[in-house]
Order: sequence, then structure tokens, then C-alpha cells
Amino acid sequence: MSSATSDLDRVTAIVLQLMRGPILVLLSVYAIGITGMALMPGAEVDGQPTRMNLFHAFYFFTYTATTTGFGEIPYAFSDQQRLWATICLYTGVVAWLYAISSIIRLALHPELLKAIAERRFARSVQAIDEPFFVLCGFGDMGSLLARGLSDHMIRASIIDADTERIKALRLRDYRVMMPGLCADASIPRHLLDAGVQHPQCRAIVVLTGSDEVNLKIAVMTRFLNPNLRIICRDTDASHRELLATVGEVTLISPFEIFAQQLDAAIYTPVLRAWEDWLVGDERVDLRDPLRPPRGNWVLCGYGRMGQALHEILRAHSGEFSIIDIEMRVDEVTDRRIRGHVDTGTLTDAGFADAVGLVAGTSNDEENLRILLSARAINPAAFLVVRQNHHENELAFSAANANLIMQPSLVLARHILLFHLLPSLGELLRHLHTDGLDRVRQLAEDSRKRIGKGPPLLWTETLEQLPCVLPGCRYESAGVRTGDLLRDPSNRKRLLDVLALVVTRDGERIMLPREDVKLQVGDTILFCGTRRARQLLGATIRNPYTLHYLTTGEQPPRAWFFQWLYRHMAARRASASHDDANVSTAGGVRSGGR
Amino acid sequence: MNLERVVFGFFIILALALNLGFVAGAIDNPSHHSPWLLFAALIVGLITSGLKLGDRSELGALVLAASLVANMLLMVAVSIWAISEGGMDHAAPEFMVTIVALAYGALAANCVSVLVLVADTLMARR
Repeated sequence: MSSATSDLDRVTAIVLQLMRGPILVLLSVYAIGITGMALMPGAEVDGQPTRMNLFHAFYFFTYTATTTGFGEIPYAFSDQQRLWATICLYTGVVAWLYAISSIIRLALHPELLKAIAERRFARSVQAIDEPFFVLCGFGDMGSLLARGLSDHMIRASIIDADTERIKALRLRDYRVMMPGLCADASIPRHLLDAGVQHPQCRAIVVLTGSDEVNLKIAVMTRFLNPNLRIICRDTDASHRELLATVGEVTLISPFEIFAQQLDAAIYTPVLRAWEDWLVGDERVDLRDPLRPPRGNWVLCGYGRMGQALHEILRAHSGEFSIIDIEMRVDEVTDRRIRGHVDTGTLTDAGFADAVGLVAGTSNDEENLRILLSARAINPAAFLVVRQNHHENELAFSAANANLIMQPSLVLARHILLFHLLPSLGELLRHLHTDGLDRVRQLAEDSRKRIGKGPPLLWTETLEQLPCVLPGCRYESAGVRTGDLLRDPSNRKRLLDVLALVVTRDGERIMLPREDVKLQVGDTILFCGTRRARQLLGATIRNPYTLHYLTTGEQPPRAWFFQWLYRHMAARRASASHDDANVSTAGGVRSGGR
Repeated sequence: MNLERVVFGFFIILALALNLGFVAGAIDNPSHHSPWLLFAALIVGLITSGLKLGDRSELGALVLAASLVANMLLMVAVSIWAISEGGMDHAAPEFMVTIVALAYGALAANCVSVLVLVADTLMARR
């Protein structure tokens, strides 16, 4: 809030400063003109010269100075008046032109526009009343992340130093409002405006292109809000150490993540496919996930990506051959080849017998060229290619590789999966470590119930239990997870939604079964279609519908009918009691026959 | 089928029907408007409001509000008729116009109640 007022002060200060001159000039010209006009003797009436009073003089001056000109009223002017009127006309018109040009200049003043933009940004961030994220940097990665956030109806405030990117942001058709500001995010004032101290701010995601700026943002944020989660793009080792001193910074590197993903795709392909399905990858087929082969691989390029892949895949996979132009001579061995990737080096690396190849240099043309050579030698091999720039999309999708790795996409999706919804991140970690046996069923359910992605992910908190009605027969039944998943218009049908995690007092129940009893205050993570989200959201807040879903009976709503139903139930109970007596009697009699 | 829906639907639609029956005819002609119909519409309207008390759903609240509006207008209409020149039997045309206009207002409120009820039923679809 302090930031907003200081912006207001800045706006007023700039306006006052720039308008001081024109206002003074206008005032003095008006004062002199009006006084003079009132003093000039006018036409003679009854032998006495008439004079304009001050109001008439002001009226005359107003229409003269603004070049409107109504003529000489109330009487035709005397010569003295005409002389003064001429002076008034020139000075007044010039003063007004000066004032108007100053106003136009003010409206175009870059400082003022910036101050107004900042103020508007800060105010729209202050007005956010749901969890949101601060996003610093709106490049490839930032815009992919923003798109993913918008798909899940999560808001973000965005800062980027590039005017063009912020202009592009304004043109995006996000489902939620994403305020954007063109400014240097490492300046604390802008971080405050972006909402790092906002109570609903969940985390700051730092993705600018410069390591220096990323570090600065992390440090400033840590001081401004010691408890805020900072998620930062990983850089080189020296910066990593510096960032470590900031404390509690989550570093994410696209290459390590991708290496883990490739490893997961080889060993747990269904889980990997499910993760991609969650973030809305359209190429995923949950029945037939991508299965990279096990065996010997060839790595082309031993930069950050090559090293990360080697590091992580070595634990599981077979042998690796590495080809890199910048390999040091003393490192060269049978499996480490120095030189360009071409038919010769690929053959030397044993690619003819290898199961797969990774074209992972930082140069897109080079990677595409490697793909061509590789296809020629070993058409059956599994090809992984790294796409560095988003604009090369079309060329890469035509290249017919088995797996395309875009660092920005990998990073954006990883943040969505593991950092934006903490319960989802925990679920995935749980599945990776000891829930693998449940993944197949989960993928099957997801495919059947929700089908093609992207599914919506959202959480709901159970605020009330269904049986709020007096005299309800099922008072003690309670809500089970499965009840929430039913269709409110027919409880025998199920909504297209899965309950993924139930959070109760900080403890998580992963993939709850249908009969898990829910308590007031439980938060449930759902995954489903848009329609299911709407219906479920309405259900969970309507005690009557919840009651119908849990018990199948429609409770009487109004007091009169509650009384009537109770009364009828009591009558029925006593009647069945009587029936029981009669039937025993009858039984005795029939037995007697 | 739900007993509550049947009973409540019966009363709200009856209130609407009686109300329509009262306002039908030339607006200023006392012989076209029977005080008995107005009285019946008011009583049925009051019963409808009574039946809706205690419903905590949003749509229930809307129906209750609409039927309260209808009752209020009908009560004002009845009061005006009672104090008007000529009494219930020979109301002057200018009073008749006011009374029937108020009843038209009540008709609008009753229409809202019925529409909400229909919408609620369609949404439940069970």
C-alpha cells in the first residue's frame, strides 16, 4: 500500500511540475486582460461612458482567448475597448496555445506514463484476492508458464524489463487477469508493486535471462518477505553458490529435469505420460506411452544437457558414447570422441548398434543436421533432440524425432507440476518413490473419465457437512470422497473428475479411495473437466445437494415440510410397529391351522 | 417425485392463477374485478410464503423474496380497496385503477417465483 501512495505522489508531482508554467502564464494574462477590459471606457449611453463590469470582462476574455468570439456585447465597443480587445486577443490566444501544448506534452511524458502504469499495476495486484504468483521475466519460459497458469485459472503478476514483451502480454487471451509491468524487477519498489508482501502471494518465480538480475531479485525478495518461496532458474555453479547463501531458494535446471524425465520415461513410462497429460501435452497417449529403449546411447554435445543426461542416466542405462567438438584431447577415449557429429564420428561411436541418440547441442541447426545423419545410419534408433528456440517449432515438429526437448517448456511444466500446487508435487513424488503400482490404474481412470487433456487441477475445501437438517435419518453418515464425485443431477452417474489428494491438518492422503470419510476443513485436490469443476464447486457449497449425494434422499427444505416429514415418519414407524404385532398374531393363527 | 415440490408447486401456481384471474378485464371497471379473487390470491400467497420459510438454498431465498413482494402488494391493494369511497362493493374507477395496478405488480412477482421454481426443477433433473 505504501508503494501505491508513493506512486500517486509521483504522478501529482510530475503533473504539478510540468503544468506550473502554463498555469502561471494563463493566470497573469487573464488577470491583466480582464482588468484592462473593465477599465476601458465604452460606448456612451445618456452622455456617460459605460464600462464593463468584471464578470462581463471575464466573459468577453473567455470567448476571445479561446478564439470563439461572439462579437461586441452588450454594446458596440468604443475605440479604446477595441484597442484593448486586440491586445487581449493576441496575448490570450498565445497563452492558451502554450497551455494546451503543455497539456499534450504532459499526456505523452514518458515519466508520467510510467508512473501511471506502475500505479495501475500495483493497484490491480493489491486487488487480487486469491492465491497468485509473481513471475519475473516473460520470455519463452515465462510466457509458457503464464499460459499453463491460466489453463489452471491461477493468476500471476508479471514483470519484465522488455517493453515489447509486456505489450505482447496485454494481447494474450488468458482466462484470468495477469497484470504486467515493464520495469526492472530487481528494484525493490517494483517487487513490492508485484505483490511479494501480499498475503496471498504463494511464490516468486525468477526466470529472467540474466544471472545477475536473477540473483538480485532473489536477494531483494528474501529481505522484503523472508517467508516467500523463491523458485529460480538454475544457472552455472558460481551463481548457484551465491544463491545458496540467500537461503531457501528452489533452483530448477531444465537439463537436470529433462534427464530425470527421460530416465522416468525409460523406467516408468506410464507415470511420465500421466505427468505430461496433466500439463496438457496433446501428443500423450495414456494407453500407449512413449517408451525410450534401454541399452547403449549416443550423446551428441556434452554441454549442460549432455552432462546432466550422462550423470542421471548412467545409474540405470547401458553404455554411453559421447561426441563433442570441444572435448579436451586428454579426455578422448573409445567412447569419448572429439569432433563434429557426422557419419564418420557416429560410426566410430557405435551408433549402428546403439538404441538411441540425443542431439543436445545449444545450436538448433546443428541438432537438426545431427538428426538427418543419424536417421541415415540407424533408422530404428530412438532420437531425442533439443530445441533451443521456440520460433523453430515448425522445423522441429517436421523433423520426426521421437522426443523433442524444449528447455523452456520442460521448465514451465516442471514448475506447474511440482511447485504451484504443493499437494500435487507431493503426490508425484509419492508416485515416483512408492506408488508405482497405482499408476497404471490412475492413468486408466484418467483416460476413461477425462480423456484428452488438459485437465483442470484445482482444490476445494470442505466447509460444511451435509446433514445440517434436523430430523434427518442419515445424520451420522458423513461425506465420503466418492460422494463428491457423483453427478448432482443423478447420483448413480459419476462426474468426469478424480480426487487426487486429501489434505487434513497438514497430512496427505494420496489417491484417496472412494470410502475415505471427509471432515470439515479437509482440502481435496481434484483433476477433471471444466463442467465437473463447476458442478462440484456448486455441490460442495450446497448442503441440500451434498445430502442428496451422500444419502440419495432429497431432504425437506422448509420448516413446514420438515415437520410434516417427521410426523409422517413417526406415523409410519408406529404403523409398522402395529403391522409387526398383527403379523405375529397372524403367524400364530396360521400356525394353529 | 418429491412431496415438497408437489405441494409447494401447487400453491405457488395457484397463487399466480388467482392473481391473473383478478387482473383480467378493463383496468378501471369495478365489475370486472372480483374482491373474492383478490382475497383468495392474498391468502394463497401468504400460505406460499409460509411454506417456503426455513429453506436455506439460494433459489429458495429468491422464491421467498418474490412471494413476499407479491403478498405485500396484494395487501396494499386490499387496504386501499377497504378505505376507498364506496367500499368493496362500488369502488370508484380511479381507486380501481390503483388496486388493479398493484395486483399487476404482484402478478409480476408471482411469475418470477414460478420461473425460479421451474428453473430449480430443471436443474435438479432427477
